[in-house]
Amino acid sequence: MFKPRSEAARGYALSSPATAYVGFLVAAPLVILITYSFWTQTYVTLDKTPTLGNYRAALSDPLVHHLMLRSIWIAGAVTLATVVLAYPIAYFIAMKARRKTIWLLLITIPFWSSYLLRVFAWKLILGFNGVMNSALLGLGLIDEPLDFLLYNEFAVVLTLAHAWAPFAILPIYVSLQKIDPSLLEAATDLGNSPLQRFLRVTLPLTVPGIIAASLIIFVPTVGDYVTPALVGGSDGKMIANLIQVQFGAANNWPLGATLSLLAMMSVGFVAIVFVIAGRGLGGRIR
Amino acid sequence: MKRPSLLVIYAFAYLIFLYLPVMFLPLFSFNSGTIVAFPIKGWTLDWYRKLGEQDTLIQALWNSLGVGAVTALLATAMGLFAARAFVRYRFRGQAAAEGLVMLPLVIPGIIVASSMLVLFLFLGLQPSLVTVTLGHTFLALPFAVSILKSAFDDFDASLEEASYDLGCGVFETFRRVTLPVVAPGIVASILVTFTVSFDEFVLAFFLSGNQPTLPVYIWSQIRFPAKLPNVLALGSILLFASAMLLVLAKYFQRRSTTRDV
Amino acid sequence: MTEKNIIELKGVEKRYGSFLAASGIDLDLRQGEFFSLLGPSGCGKTTVLRMIAGFQEPTQGAILIDGQDMAGVPANNRPTNMVFQSYAIFPHLNVANNVAYGLRGRVPKAEIDARVTEALEMVELGGLHQRGANELSGGQRQRVALARALIMRPKVLLLDEPLSALDKKLREQMQFEMRNLQQSLGITFVMVTHDQYEAMTMSDRIGVMFDGRLEQVDTPATLYARPCNRAVASFIGEMNILPATVLEETGGMLSIEAAGFGRMRIERNVNATDRARDIIVGIRPEQLEIKADKPADYPATLKGKISNVAFYGENIHYHVAVENIDKPIAVSVPNYFHTVDFNRGDAVWLGLQVASVIDLGKERKSSQREKT
Repeated sequence: MFKPRSEAARGYALSSPATAYVGFLVAAPLVILITYSFWTQTYVTLDKTPTLGNYRAALSDPLVHHLMLRSIWIAGAVTLATVVLAYPIAYFIAMKARRKTIWLLLITIPFWSSYLLRVFAWKLILGFNGVMNSALLGLGLIDEPLDFLLYNEFAVVLTLAHAWAPFAILPIYVSLQKIDPSLLEAATDLGNSPLQRFLRVTLPLTVPGIIAASLIIFVPTVGDYVTPALVGGSDGKMIANLIQVQFGAANNWPLGATLSLLAMMSVGFVAIVFVIAGRGLGGRIR
Repeated sequence: MKRPSLLVIYAFAYLIFLYLPVMFLPLFSFNSGTIVAFPIKGWTLDWYRKLGEQDTLIQALWNSLGVGAVTALLATAMGLFAARAFVRYRFRGQAAAEGLVMLPLVIPGIIVASSMLVLFLFLGLQPSLVTVTLGHTFLALPFAVSILKSAFDDFDASLEEASYDLGCGVFETFRRVTLPVVAPGIVASILVTFTVSFDEFVLAFFLSGNQPTLPVYIWSQIRFPAKLPNVLALGSILLFASAMLLVLAKYFQRRSTTRDV
Repeated sequence: MTEKNIIELKGVEKRYGSFLAASGIDLDLRQGEFFSLLGPSGCGKTTVLRMIAGFQEPTQGAILIDGQDMAGVPANNRPTNMVFQSYAIFPHLNVANNVAYGLRGRVPKAEIDARVTEALEMVELGGLHQRGANELSGGQRQRVALARALIMRPKVLLLDEPLSALDKKLREQMQFEMRNLQQSLGITFVMVTHDQYEAMTMSDRIGVMFDGRLEQVDTPATLYARPCNRAVASFIGEMNILPATVLEETGGMLSIEAAGFGRMRIERNVNATDRARDIIVGIRPEQLEIKADKPADYPATLKGKISNVAFYGENIHYHVAVENIDKPIAVSVPNYFHTVDFNRGDAVWLGLQVASVIDLGKERKSSQREKT
């Protein structure tokens, strides 16, 4: 059905404040970052001669390689852990729980406390004198405190899997909730066992929810700064920590800009591959 | 009586996982020792009593409340218009516009923060609460738009037509029909965008200059933990208050849908 | 009913890009009549209704309500009110506040209260003032929508498929209630519907629309007896269509050669304005007689074989396959004696009175809707 032109005009007028605002704050910094990435800086003097030096330096630096790969690796592990841990909960709330509102409320309340303090709390739990070690010692399961709990990649993954929980549960819950119960009855009627039914009907229908949850978790996690800094130790540092150093202590903005752009491109690339792979996989279940 | 299924057991284990770290914050706010670590020395309410004396902490709290309030209003206002446009009208480039508005959700925080710092300095805006608010509005907008979009989705277009048909103009219809019907969505949007801003750290860390918001202040205390027990006391109060707020909001939402007066 | 025109549509057209939703609509509605716009979905009937209401502006032509040109007059300033297909009951208001919506701020409070009570009693919802919008059944929502529109005392009440959301029993009950309400109030009702029975039982006159065009405006009885073409004939009731050739035309009568039945003289249909030598004629299924032996007292007879039997309760439908006619001929027989006389495969004779053959004029080929 065709619509009169004035309607489109109204659409543009109403949506323009939001789109212009976001568009400007995405485009303008991007232009400036790109410009900066071709400049060089030594201490306080900014050399505006265009050069590819930053890119060359960044791409040949083994530390950058290492941190970039680790960031993507950790973000992938966090995404997987969060989604796998969250799926059964979303399933429980959507399909089995009698008091859905109460459960959804219970899931969200912890996240109304400060993010920083929650990360800090994990430090208390996993630390050398922390809760976990005290409990295990008290139970006589270990003789001396475990020191591999904190300041490593495991701690980062665990902390972030906790921090992102509602962002995984809610999209999956929504996609489960949308499933027409008669589809499940049809699958049973056609001879599926509960497990077959789950794998052939329920899971494929929740692929969009899983993809949404994964993107919402993966992308920001690659650039996460707080968690690696607090519980990551030297083994858990990620690319964001390096970028922050360039804009802070090292005062090398051009290199920081270059690293930001490279990080953004890697994230974008991995995310696109993931979405395509996810759709392909969803379509192949029969 | 049926044996509880594996799924139920898992659900309760997961709840423990979610609540475990959060429970330690109030616990340590009652600890009389100044170092936040085990073992607990003894019990005290001192940290709560002394909260009022912590000038920088209180200042940071006010900063966060102000930034959060302005952010919530800006993001919800822009989101309200955009959501209405996206749901009610069809126009060329609509999908692109909707995608663009969602973009802040999927750009890593550190990149948003560093690039905005560069931009604001380029524009001659020194880091301050104003720049933090501008940045937070950017981050909060996708939340506002998606909440308000689902509010407009549930809103039958013929309701507005019925109001015109019964003699009301554009503004009267907006006030008497549109606003009341999407009001729960607006309240939800304000609450969520406020929380996004109130809890945001990385952007504020880059953009706040010498006007720290609460998370920026907490960050400085986590690394140099002299005032940390005070922070935990404040954090516990805020957690309790927001949980109460949430429960209340749910309660009113339920009452409004089943009211039979 | 007086002869004063309350609504006049003059050459009204609505165009979306190259798509003509409605074109060449000329229509006069009389004060106090119950008028229905009938047609299949997508025929443009709702567009016409919404142009009268003021939600859409015609791209050409004029709409006059009570003699006043409505061009540029927005919906909120027109003397019409509408019952929406979804009823559009405001979910945040109770029944009384929904009904009072249009009067608030324009009429003193005491008068609003009195009129709300009166309106609710009129639609048989007396005492439900405080009921919440979400606690109403489908039929109650329909009544609230009706009361909310009628309380405005409109010159014309517009109804967009007002009964389509109700189940069959309730729909039939509401048909009579709405008709009675309309007659006691004397307000002009304009209803859009795709249900021919609804239109026939409720309306004084019906306008039949196809592909954006108003094909015929007439009383239900005339529409049934003298449809203007094949589309209208088939949309209102069932119709057997046969090709025929005009041999001679004399003073309002046609001598034709009809497929199967042979030569006969039938009345020329003044409504069928598309003329040619090759025409089509229609025969209603209940006008045909079905017998085991060749009937003697019918001027036109035909031999065939039963291809299908459908039992409807109050009557029985037979489909009779006839040589040299593509489609089986449908025959409807009243179920007087609770017996099905024929079975599939039986050889039968059809008998026909010439007066029941309807001239439908030249067969129109394709729709002319897409124009640039």
